[in-house]
Amino acid sequence: MKIAYYPGCATHGFAKDIDVATKKVAETLGIELVEIPDWNCCGGGFLDEYDEVTHVALNLRNLSQVEKMRMDKFATPCSVCLHSHRLAVNKYKEDRDIRERVNKKIEGTSIKYEGKATAEHIVWVLLRDVGLEKIKAHVKRPLTGLKVATYYGCQILRPEQIMGFEPAYNPHSLSDLVSATGATPVTFNEMINCCGFPLMGSNPNMGLKLAYNILNGAKKNGADLLVHTCSLCHLQFDPLHYRIKEEFKVEWTLPGIYILQLLALAFGYQPDEIGLSKLAIQVLMEKGII
Amino acid sequence: MSVQTYEVIFRIRRYSPEKGSYWQEYKLTVDRFTQFTEALRRIKTEQDPSLAYRASCHMAVCGSCGMKINGEPRLACKTLVSGIINKYGSNVITIEPMDYFPVIKDLIVDWEDFYTRMFKVKPRLYPAKEVLEGKGEHRLKPEDQRRLWKFAQCIWCGLCVSVCPVIREDPEFLGPAAHAKGYRFLTDPRDTITDERFKILSDSAWRCTYCYHCFSVCPRDIEPVTAIKKTRALTKYVKEPTNVTFNGVKHSEAIAGSIKTTGKIMESLVYLQTYGLSRSLKDLIFIAKAGRGGSLISSILEEKPVKNVSEIKKLFEG
Amino acid sequence: MDIADYDVVVLGSGLAGLMSTYVIASAGYKVAVISKVFPTRSHSAAAEGGIAAYIPGNSDPNDNPDYMTYDTVKGGDYLVDQDAAELLSNESGNIVMLLESWGALFNRQPDGRVAVRYFGGQTYPRTRFIGDKTGMGLLHTLFERVSGLDKVDFYNEWFALDFVTDSNRIVGVLALQMKDMEPVFFRSKAVVVATGGMGMLYRHTTNSYINTGDGYAMALRAGAAIKDPEFVQFHPTALYPSDVLISEAARGEGAILRNAKGERFMTRYAPKKLDLAPRDIVSRAIFTEVKEGRGFPGGYVVLDLTHLGEEYIKERLALAVEAAKSFAGIDAITEPIPVRPAQHYYMGGIDVDITGRNPDIVGLFAAGEAACVSVHGANRLGSNSLLETLVFGRETGKHVVEFLKNAQEPQSQYQNETEKLLDDAYRFVKSESGVHFGEIVNKLRDVMWDYVGVFRDEGGLKNALSEINELRDMAGKMYVTDKSKVYNTEFFNALELRNMLDLALVITTSALERKESRGAHYRTDYPERDDDHWLKHTIAYLRGNTVEVTYKPVRMTRWKPEPRVY
Repeated sequence: MKIAYYPGCATHGFAKDIDVATKKVAETLGIELVEIPDWNCCGGGFLDEYDEVTHVALNLRNLSQVEKMRMDKFATPCSVCLHSHRLAVNKYKEDRDIRERVNKKIEGTSIKYEGKATAEHIVWVLLRDVGLEKIKAHVKRPLTGLKVATYYGCQILRPEQIMGFEPAYNPHSLSDLVSATGATPVTFNEMINCCGFPLMGSNPNMGLKLAYNILNGAKKNGADLLVHTCSLCHLQFDPLHYRIKEEFKVEWTLPGIYILQLLALAFGYQPDEIGLSKLAIQVLMEKGII
Repeated sequence: MSVQTYEVIFRIRRYSPEKGSYWQEYKLTVDRFTQFTEALRRIKTEQDPSLAYRASCHMAVCGSCGMKINGEPRLACKTLVSGIINKYGSNVITIEPMDYFPVIKDLIVDWEDFYTRMFKVKPRLYPAKEVLEGKGEHRLKPEDQRRLWKFAQCIWCGLCVSVCPVIREDPEFLGPAAHAKGYRFLTDPRDTITDERFKILSDSAWRCTYCYHCFSVCPRDIEPVTAIKKTRALTKYVKEPTNVTFNGVKHSEAIAGSIKTTGKIMESLVYLQTYGLSRSLKDLIFIAKAGRGGSLISSILEEKPVKNVSEIKKLFEG
Repeated sequence: MDIADYDVVVLGSGLAGLMSTYVIASAGYKVAVISKVFPTRSHSAAAEGGIAAYIPGNSDPNDNPDYMTYDTVKGGDYLVDQDAAELLSNESGNIVMLLESWGALFNRQPDGRVAVRYFGGQTYPRTRFIGDKTGMGLLHTLFERVSGLDKVDFYNEWFALDFVTDSNRIVGVLALQMKDMEPVFFRSKAVVVATGGMGMLYRHTTNSYINTGDGYAMALRAGAAIKDPEFVQFHPTALYPSDVLISEAARGEGAILRNAKGERFMTRYAPKKLDLAPRDIVSRAIFTEVKEGRGFPGGYVVLDLTHLGEEYIKERLALAVEAAKSFAGIDAITEPIPVRPAQHYYMGGIDVDITGRNPDIVGLFAAGEAACVSVHGANRLGSNSLLETLVFGRETGKHVVEFLKNAQEPQSQYQNETEKLLDDAYRFVKSESGVHFGEIVNKLRDVMWDYVGVFRDEGGLKNALSEINELRDMAGKMYVTDKSKVYNTEFFNALELRNMLDLALVITTSALERKESRGAHYRTDYPERDDDHWLKHTIAYLRGNTVEVTYKPVRMTRWKPEPRVY
């Protein structure tokens, strides 16, 4: 299977380990990821507040590249990139005032969007196009005994009317994937709430508090590890974990890793091949997984 | 046309101060058209008159019947029983009161907190004196009418507030519905108290975390989060920005600047521009502690700008 | 019992109540607005199509207020008080522009002025609109305006039990807070009843669940008359089974009504006008099809748009498509929409003149659907109900202010009266056995729908009368299973039922008396309009369990009755 790939800035930046793990999982499952030529940033969830019309135009540029590749969708590992593109398309199609302004803006550029190409999350591709059975078949290191909190966050789910892969208030995709690895999925009330990343610019203390709420909720339900679906959540749970521990004076540790890092681990890859953090490695060793 | 019927078990979370909180089940046969408001009305008039809930217009304009159906915050009238059965593949359906608001009785919650938020934004037009005195007449462009009407359609149902994660933590945040209402007047060309509205709205706007709960649950497709984004976009007109506003704008401008000049977000650059050198160094120490320092630093060096960056610049400027 | 002193109590927080409140409070008087619901949840919000207005300089150059009055008078089958209709037309432009100045987001023309479109029964286009939710747009604007006034206290989610009178003079209102059942006597010099309609009397209605006709029943019990109670409007195309209105616009654009056999049945009832025949004729046709077994199981026919093509439907009938999707799960582009007639509006109401004043009780005023100013006569024209609420809400407010200038302060605490009213209400909670409200209310709604609905005849109406009397006896033995003092909705539903039963008796008796067919009142045994005997208003009083029916002439100014042909 061949599919267009949109990594996004964070996946090529601070969250490079997600890029690495995604490529390993794809390779194992026989998916050829073709990076979109000369892709640009989706706006990172912020550009539309700065310039709504340019935001739509930039996202259409990527999708128009996908159409030029004669493909009807791209896969991204990042929920924010996913969300940004799908929202832009929806705005372009539904809001005639925006559409007129965008059309004016993209006149004379390389952008020609026919409305066919869409953005999908790599998790959706795994579940819809690859299937759980095939994923299970590749598990070489069953993660038996590991309790994994399934954290969805926001942008892969909501708004449900635009994201549409699964019920936004009763999601199960991560539980399905975690179960496929042999680990035990742990659901918790806060699993569909925000990690606080978007507040790190304007109100960072509150941003950290929201991240803490997630980890705390997952920990209360007995999780050893947390999986998520987003390169920006990754920054909250991975590098900032120490800061959260310090700010909120918590003794426990709950490392957050990307869902495809968990899959790669189950597929038999070594922790350093997929960029797992020290904290995650420590937990996996304690649980006798590695 | 199908006359299929469904045998449904409604599990309703009930509450009264005398009995506390408990689940009660009701069986009902419905057809494919039955709204949840109609199902509740039938339960109340045919089976258990003591069941308490609010409902009025049954056409999604009065905002009375917000509740959680299978965990989804929804208007009962704008939800078909058959739709939920088909979505979840089960004839057992749970109904609970909305989250966040204190429960008074069964599905009835106390909306006081919601109303307080709405009135904080001065939810009314303050027109020019001449117009009020009948000496002048407003004109309004059709596209302005369309834009404002989108945000003016809030029906005060409270669903967005019931799921907002920030209002539970941040007393300074007005909440989604109030922001939609506030934006609707802030950008109404007929309004005259713009500076005061900025004072009320702009700091709070930078406290939203863009989780999109409000967009997802709004039964009138108002997109409160979009109103918040549009309010932020106007921050340059704010006369005395607060710290939150100031940091937010700096961050936003750093991101836009990075995209404009490279086509991408160069994270290290944005980080530095937003937080300054000392804070960035401190965070880098945490990052190093997390154990991925080495690979991270090399990955930052991999961030490559868009080749056709002139096209990106054109999009920004065009 | 606590006493709260106000100059005026306004019952109901829809458009009419809030408009009166605005005028009275702006004149410096203290107003208590008592409403079963938070104001924005009032039924005014449900109005879709628009508000008719002749705006000088922004109307068809050939139009004038007299044409508008004529349309209203003719639409009402000449049972319209023509002075009221003239006032309605003359004030229409002014009131729309007032709401505009307060921020109402009317749709616009390219030059920025308020836009306009045609509606049924209009000689020239006069309907002004706010998207497809005109009532909601106006209600929110007006509530926002009134909520900023100092002299107004809102008592939201309070239930008014009854007026308290002293020798035919209003001295206050007894009301309970729904949250804790705490009673308060609101002592006041005047009451404005703006409690809206009564659709819940009928099995099928486009009205809100809260429209139980409380104001009519309170007025009746206090000794005031209901004018023209037999005139109930049915709209032919309400969505099955939610009874959400599917606008006439659908048929205007070419939608066809079909029965379960797929027949275009209107060919039998109105061979020329077909699906676009007047509301009452189409309603009667659908009712006949269902009655004679050609409807779908459940009792509906379908409104078929599918032949119109996706593009056309999406462009011209977006609202119908959305309603079908949201409330019936139907894709109107590929499937016909299930519809049936449903009660829609009540032309009858508390007897008032163009000042909003009731002649029976000093200090009693009414406005909006709760009132009968006789501006709609026997059949209301589309776009005139929103207009009436605002124009007569304002007129009533002005005349209340005049009244207050000379009104005397109620002195007594009226403790005996209020305690008696309260005991009367509480007996439902005190009873330990009997029937609960649900059993009675569902039967009442069936009886009204079956016998006092689209078709009426002597046998059916007499049958209905005896059934209603039986139900009234049953209601005497009603009990409330929920004994809690906290938000006891069952208790309030029981009180609403009591109100519905009082009004049902009055409607049915008056319908039995009027031996002609006029507008929405259709007697199969008297199918013609009879101006010689029946060009007069019904004035009905409730004396205990008997209805006393008298009549009053129609006020005519310039328009003589002529056949109602379109």
